[in-house]
Amino acid sequence: MLQNIFFGLSLGAVYSLIAVGFALVFNILKFSNFSHGGVMSFTAYAGYLAYILLFDGKITGVTMFVAVVLVAALVGAVTAVGIERVGFRRLRRNQAPVIYYFISSITLGILLENIITIFASSNFYSYPVFFSSSNIQIFGTSFSIADFVTLLFSCVALGLLLFVLYRTKLGLGVRTVSFDVNTASLMGIDADRVVMATFAMSGALGGISGVFLGMNYSLYPQLGQLVVKGFIASVIGGLGNITGAVIGAFLLGIVEVGLIGMVGSGLMPACVFVVMLVFLLVRPQGIAGKIVQEKA
Amino acid sequence: MNAITTTSCGLLEVSSLSKSFGGVRAVCDFSFNAQPGEIVGIIGPNGAGKTTAFNLVTGVYAPDKGSVKLDGVELSGLRQDVIARAGIGRTFQNIRLFKGLTVLENVMTASDPYAPYGFFSAILALPGKRKADREAADKAREYLNMVGLGGMEDARPESLPYGLQRKLELARALAIRPKVILLDEPAAGLNPSEVRDFIELVRRLHERFNFTIVFIEHRMEVVMNLSHKLFVLSFGKLLASGDPETVRRNPEVIEAYIGEEE
Repeated sequence: MLQNIFFGLSLGAVYSLIAVGFALVFNILKFSNFSHGGVMSFTAYAGYLAYILLFDGKITGVTMFVAVVLVAALVGAVTAVGIERVGFRRLRRNQAPVIYYFISSITLGILLENIITIFASSNFYSYPVFFSSSNIQIFGTSFSIADFVTLLFSCVALGLLLFVLYRTKLGLGVRTVSFDVNTASLMGIDADRVVMATFAMSGALGGISGVFLGMNYSLYPQLGQLVVKGFIASVIGGLGNITGAVIGAFLLGIVEVGLIGMVGSGLMPACVFVVMLVFLLVRPQGIAGKIVQEKA
Repeated sequence: MNAITTTSCGLLEVSSLSKSFGGVRAVCDFSFNAQPGEIVGIIGPNGAGKTTAFNLVTGVYAPDKGSVKLDGVELSGLRQDVIARAGIGRTFQNIRLFKGLTVLENVMTASDPYAPYGFFSAILALPGKRKADREAADKAREYLNMVGLGGMEDARPESLPYGLQRKLELARALAIRPKVILLDEPAAGLNPSEVRDFIELVRRLHERFNFTIVFIEHRMEVVMNLSHKLFVLSFGKLLASGDPETVRRNPEVIEAYIGEEE
């Protein structure tokens, strides 16, 4: 039982990274950025390549894990910024309707997957094993070290993000632009740079989640389609709301683990989508919807 | 803030500005100027193109034709954030505050746009940066005190009465350290005592910063009390200009505007 809850939390932590990366962009440009999935696939491969080409045999264990995560985060940030330049900046200049962003993001996501398939084939690769002993004993129950590290790293990344958003000038810029781009520009804020920084943060989170996904599910080009989990968490939590996304993601993780126990892993995804449908129909503003209303 | 005191700062020259939306000529060949430190009023009937003129000056729209020069530097065609940083601040006819931020944060969004948004320094929270953050907050508090909003730093702008929201917009506009400040109907929606209070506030700020002020206003009390010079806009075109008394007596102006208002 305790083990399951812990597994749920760790799963929720990965989902929350995805959901927050997703919510950051939604917050500022008001569309669901499905290219985030492409970024996650891409960074998962980048982390794997970094391991093979740079780190293999030189460093081990936690050091290597940290190095791979950092490379993936960096690649994610750069990729997301590139995606913004290619796919969205022109749309913003032309003040295009939101649906164009949406289509552009799906296109770019699929494009990234296909590029990966060209260079890496559609084979499955198994991610390096970072931690030699797979379990630790706490209070007589054994916990997986990978889950433990996942949870720890996700929380650190989220904490860092919240710090930037609420305690720095950059964060203030992001929040300002998300309320009203036009007025923000008239107050001298360079909206292009703020949007770029937002994509960089979103991409870095996508990179970290990419590595975790690779560790959990092995590596394949469509790995990033797990972005749907982040999307579901965002909908449950309230689209565009960072706190809501985190809450939604942890709930989703625990519910999924619970459902596997109750209905089995085959039926679980269907049940999750039913839950999401119910949320869309009954409470489209999500769990945190009320709070967003008050803030906005 | 030392640059503001030199005489060459705040010279706004707008010449033959034109803008059409579809077939509608919103602003047509409109020229006006403001000398450094001058307070200039723009009046005209509703729909005359006054706010459009402001939007053209601040870069919200690119003009079809014409130029906007601040201290001799051409600004038309530049991005709105660049124009703002060049020294043109503004407020809005329909108050546009950031409702999700606190009163203090609203002012801080605009304060010191010159400070870089360094990503890594933001994450690393370097000591120098923390000091800069504190200074930015202090500065923002100072602007709030100037407009009489001291002590309301943590309030949400939407919870403030209308008159105070107007003052908050003013404080935010001050924070970009403008050479020229554009006020779009700053007294709209204020009651008579708030209007008198507002005129006093603008005078005080003008004395303190000696910046150039251009404002759009319908209230004659404000127009006659504040402006050194008036420009009258009607159907997108300049109808008359000059000192307030002369303009007030101009029969064309009375027919187009003042006559119907009072």
